[in-house]
Amino acid sequence: MGSVIEIRGATKDYGKSRGVFDLSLEVGQGEVVGFLGANGAGKSVTMRMLMGFVRPRQGSVRIFGRDCFSGRAEIQKSVGYLPGELAFPGDMTAAALLRFTAAMAGIREGNCRCGCARGDELADFFELDVSAHVRSMSKGTRQKVGIVAAFMGRPQLLLLDEPTSGLDLLMQRRFVELVQAEKRRGTTILLSSHLLGEVEGTCDRAVFIRNGHVVYQAQAQELTLDSTLRQLYGPQALNRHWREVPAGNSSSGRTPGGKGGRR
Amino acid sequence: MKFPLFGRSLRSLLPLVSAIAVVLAFYIGTVVYLYDPEVSESLQLMQEAMPELFAAFGMANPSDSLCDFLLNYLYGFMFAGALVLMAAYMAQRLVVGPAKDGSLAWLLASPHSRFRLAFTLMAAEAVAIVAVVAFLWVSEVVFCELLFPGDLDQVALAKANMGLIALGLFAASLCFASGCIFQRPGLGLWVGAGACVLFLLMGLAASTGEGLEWLASASPFSLYDAYGLAAGEGEAVLGTLALLGASAVFFAAALAAFCHRDFSL
Repeated sequence: MGSVIEIRGATKDYGKSRGVFDLSLEVGQGEVVGFLGANGAGKSVTMRMLMGFVRPRQGSVRIFGRDCFSGRAEIQKSVGYLPGELAFPGDMTAAALLRFTAAMAGIREGNCRCGCARGDELADFFELDVSAHVRSMSKGTRQKVGIVAAFMGRPQLLLLDEPTSGLDLLMQRRFVELVQAEKRRGTTILLSSHLLGEVEGTCDRAVFIRNGHVVYQAQAQELTLDSTLRQLYGPQALNRHWREVPAGNSSSGRTPGGKGGRR
Repeated sequence: MKFPLFGRSLRSLLPLVSAIAVVLAFYIGTVVYLYDPEVSESLQLMQEAMPELFAAFGMANPSDSLCDFLLNYLYGFMFAGALVLMAAYMAQRLVVGPAKDGSLAWLLASPHSRFRLAFTLMAAEAVAIVAVVAFLWVSEVVFCELLFPGDLDQVALAKANMGLIALGLFAASLCFASGCIFQRPGLGLWVGAGACVLFLLMGLAASTGEGLEWLASASPFSLYDAYGLAAGEGEAVLGTLALLGASAVFFAAALAAFCHRDFSL
């Protein structure tokens, strides 16, 4: 099984321990990998490097054997991307945005309200009202637009950054169905998340990142909530518990996070 | 060039750019309406009485023809100021804003080189500048022919407008390059737009005299000589070519920065 994603010793330092450090990761053809980490762990930085938005200071980041920064344009012909923070260009309707995206990707088909037949199918599947303006949409509806845009080109590789963020339960379930269908089609998927359920339902393997380092890898079915929390936040995080302060012993004696307080 | 992006960029610029063009057209109509050789003489008297005040608004030259009248009242401050405003807005709309709010990710996720994307955005800016100046020239001709048929030297005014295009491209390229070079998007916009405003004010301050004439030679905006271009003077043409050359340098710097910088989107 050849590697689709190949990150070797990549470092991108934003200072104050933010970024990724000596990160190595491989994702094989047809594999669905969950990329788990707490907020600020380095997931989005990794995605940015894979998308060729930023260049690592050290190491290499490659997709399909090409350098992600210098070979970005060629790589993007086969990649679908859903950013973690969705921001849309201009004030357009979802239909106009999807048509524009299809035109930019060179997959525009005439008479399709979302740019291509696959886009129309996906919009229907997610019950997306494409006549609404994207700026006025709720977080979940905007997320649907992002999902349609990422999947409509039938890419060989999907980079999904927190894909179910804002989706209601039914739409989360439909998203899982869609990912499973893509998996059967042989699409390689890297799914960044901090939600265990999202990874369990879709991924073969989970890679944990903490403070910019890959700290653990496991098959998705081996994951438990405790092991996931331990890997995401470190073992000490599980030792903190809420302890109720007696009513008479009010604010002066309460020390959040300290002994006898919130621990 | 990527035409879907080119078209969308022009559409996104349309609201403010068309508003600027329409306001300027109304202003042109008013100025042309005010033209009257007798009133022109009285204005000239006022100008002689308060030369600094008139010069501060870029109206330093006496006007004895309709063309000179327009050059005096429109091309000193009004048009240059509008083009600076437009340049800052275009840079904000096409580069600085998308880099700041993250929507640039949408473009960089497309299968096109950064060079092609940036070149398309710059082409949209250049076309917007040319379109606005062409619209202004047509407005001038229409108003003048309606109110004073045959009085306007259209060719001379067209030559002055060629220089105005070069000035607009210079301001646009400076703002665009600044927006691409600086990692902090807000800073990039302020540096580029701030430099353009400074150049404009330097030119105006220099024309008021009082020992500030040296400021004119320090401002690239002084390379634009509307009167010289209208009269077909070689030096003014060279100034225009220098502005175009500087625009090409700034656009090239913008391309280089856009192609090599990190975008934390």
